[in-house]
Amino acid sequence: MSNLLKYMVENASIILDYASTHFSLIFSAVAISLVLWIPLGILISRNERLASIVLGIANTIFCIPSLALFSVFVTIPFFGLGRPSSLLALVLYAMMPMVINVYQGIKVVDKSVIEAAKGMGMNSRRILREIQLPLAAPVMFAGIRITVVMATGIAAIAAYIGERNLGRLITEGLTRYHVEMILSGAILIPLIAILFDTVLGAVERMLVPKGLKVSRSK
Amino acid sequence: MIELHDVTKIYAGQTVPAVKNLTLKIKEGETCVFVGPSGCGKSTILRMINRMIEQTSGTILINNKDIREADPDRLRMGIGYVIQQIGLLPHRTIAENISIVPRLYGWDKERIRKRVDELLELMGLDPDETRDKFPAQLSGGQMQRVGVARAMAADPPIMLMDEPFGAVDPIVRGHLQDEFLKIQREMKKTICFVTHDINEAIKMGDTIAIFEKGQLVQHGTPQEILSKPKNEFVRTFIGTDRVVKMLTLFQVRSITKDNYSIIRENELANIRQKMDDEGAAVGILMNESAKPCGLITRDDLEKAGELNPEKIKEIACGKKDAFIDGDLLLNDALSLMLEWNCDYLGVLDGAQLIGIVSFDDIRECVRRKEGE
Amino acid sequence: MNWERFLDALSRVPHELSIHVIMVLISLAVAIAISLPIGVILTRPRFRKMGALVMNILNLFQAFPGMAIIALTMPVLGMGLKPAIGALVVQALLPIARNTIAGLYGVDPNTKEAAQGMGMSERKVLFEVELPLAMPVILAGIRTSAVYVVSVGTLAAYIGGGGLGDIIVAGLNMLWAEFIIVGAGFGALLAIFFERGLSYLEYKFTPPGFTITK
Ligand SMILES: Nc1ncnc2c1ncn2[C@@H]1O[C@H](COP(=O)(O)OP(=O)(O)O)[C@@H](O)[C@H]1O
Ligand SMILES: [Mg+2]
Repeated sequence: MSNLLKYMVENASIILDYASTHFSLIFSAVAISLVLWIPLGILISRNERLASIVLGIANTIFCIPSLALFSVFVTIPFFGLGRPSSLLALVLYAMMPMVINVYQGIKVVDKSVIEAAKGMGMNSRRILREIQLPLAAPVMFAGIRITVVMATGIAAIAAYIGERNLGRLITEGLTRYHVEMILSGAILIPLIAILFDTVLGAVERMLVPKGLKVSRSK
Repeated sequence: MIELHDVTKIYAGQTVPAVKNLTLKIKEGETCVFVGPSGCGKSTILRMINRMIEQTSGTILINNKDIREADPDRLRMGIGYVIQQIGLLPHRTIAENISIVPRLYGWDKERIRKRVDELLELMGLDPDETRDKFPAQLSGGQMQRVGVARAMAADPPIMLMDEPFGAVDPIVRGHLQDEFLKIQREMKKTICFVTHDINEAIKMGDTIAIFEKGQLVQHGTPQEILSKPKNEFVRTFIGTDRVVKMLTLFQVRSITKDNYSIIRENELANIRQKMDDEGAAVGILMNESAKPCGLITRDDLEKAGELNPEKIKEIACGKKDAFIDGDLLLNDALSLMLEWNCDYLGVLDGAQLIGIVSFDDIRECVRRKEGE
Repeated sequence: MNWERFLDALSRVPHELSIHVIMVLISLAVAIAISLPIGVILTRPRFRKMGALVMNILNLFQAFPGMAIIALTMPVLGMGLKPAIGALVVQALLPIARNTIAGLYGVDPNTKEAAQGMGMSERKVLFEVELPLAMPVILAGIRTSAVYVVSVGTLAAYIGGGGLGDIIVAGLNMLWAEFIIVGAGFGALLAIFFERGLSYLEYKFTPPGFTITK
């Protein structure tokens, strides 16, 4: 245990370096995913046929083992070892949790609320903006949260295709049989993931509209 | 005015029409109730009128204009729409919910605020208490009221109401119906009201349209429907107590007569004489403060035989509750007659005696209406 | 594309694939054997409070990445197939236990009450009412686990566990696209096979009338 702390302190600067690469990968992946998958989720909530196709694809991609997906992109000339491949893989993995949460968030809004709003003359853009999106916000955010947490873990695997991030502590540690190095990676990564999960979970609860939290017993 | 001409709706992927060749006119200021078993196409008709769905063929006119020429959203803004599930926005306060359509019209804040309070008041809700609550904080009955208030927010001349009081218990439903009738009596909106409950239809409708499997079977006033059911389906739908239901259309006041005698304590001895002189069927016993406190019929007198004042008073006072308010309905009167085993009831207006109603008169009334 | 190398990679598939499948099946079986009874016990009235607590912890651990589990195994259990299976069992435990508890909690209390009211013993209620009704959720947990385990199983190669990961890792080390594609392709197919197969089971086990929920 003390060896572990000693190792971490001695290598603090390189660990911090790894951590910042780790975060930058997660951040870019989530940013790109937001731009791609939220509109796609909204789109498929209006077209059932498209929805089943898109969700089928997302689900299938999600099944592919991470090491396999990362490695496959390496074989594509333009991507190769490093950032583009890692980024692409993470964005593709994010498709499943993000698209499905946007889709379901919009879909679970009570049909009668939509019927009444439409019946009062609200157009569909207004219904989306004023009713569906606010009510879906917590579920949509849950998708983002799952994505961030998942990306934290999967990004580590990208160390095998040349990312210099926290995963490297594990990959190098394993090749060099360096127990402290392995442990520091294997403890830091889950810790960060759990931290993200907790913090984003709190934000998610804050997004629930007030009208859904109150009840008559107040 | 709403007119449907030969309107048919066949949902995509179905072969049987949900509504078939419907022609129907709803006059301005009239409440037309669509009634029929569930699945007979009532909601479908309603939803075609505000273009939530498009008819497959036929034309729908509102104030002589084909609704297909209007912009659907503008059309709907001008038509109040209430559905059974209410559909209040759960993340908006009651005030915000009610002000949806005024906001779409671009009213200013002050005008909206005033209107919200006015509507809450009209629907029997305390504005200060209700305004800032969320739907989840209201009871079922309160939510239904808000649903109706929201539909009336911009004072649309037409309202479509799809089982608007269907989600609450019978007692609350009764209250809501009474209050809405009162409001409608002043506002005179053109209303299409859907229900599967024939009693609600009789109570709420100026006219009733009865549907079976997408087709209009009969359209007429409640009295026409009840007195002349067009076929076996309508007859069954109304039920075996058809005639008793018909009694609900008339107030006791409307058939009250004055062939009674006022009998004071000191007149008990020659009661028969007095009733004969006045040609009365009933003697109403009055106490010192001129309040009716008993009732006795000729029949009772016959049976009593010997005319002992004490005995007469006892018989009369035994029916001290055989009185009914003139505002109540003939079915209530009938019920009381059966309860007191008595062919006559005294009719009151408040505490004031205004006449009597007899079993024969009720029977006569029914016979006459049936014959019309 | 080097055809010879491609055939070479393919020739390794039967062996590595069978190791991978064995790894997955054993770890799933062990994980089910452990977490199903635990899930059942934790949802009995006596342990209900504890069940809620465990549920929270399991939810937290959902965030625990598979690679970290594999990495943590090495210092504890060493290298080889058995440690790899150990890591996969841990990985598989979480979703199954979680869904067992969630599934059993999710059974409508009125249904249980009705069953008890008809004179069913507690055991009978469990086996004839609760478990059948919770089965779709439990199977969904097993499906999630299976997909994870196939995925994390490829990482087992790095602690000497073998399996399809070996072919991928060889390809990555030599930068041989043929090896990567064969290893990754079979890995993906295996995961999709498990996912579809278990989805089908889930569909079959969903009591009629439950199939179309909302
Ligand atoms: N959106 C729809 N798509 C297909 N069929 C529908 C749809 N809505 C209603 N129907 C069918 O049309 C018929 C009439 O339905 P509806 O108008 O809702 O009846 P009601 O309101 O009288 O209960 C029913 O047989 C129903 O199944
Ligand atoms: Mg209906």
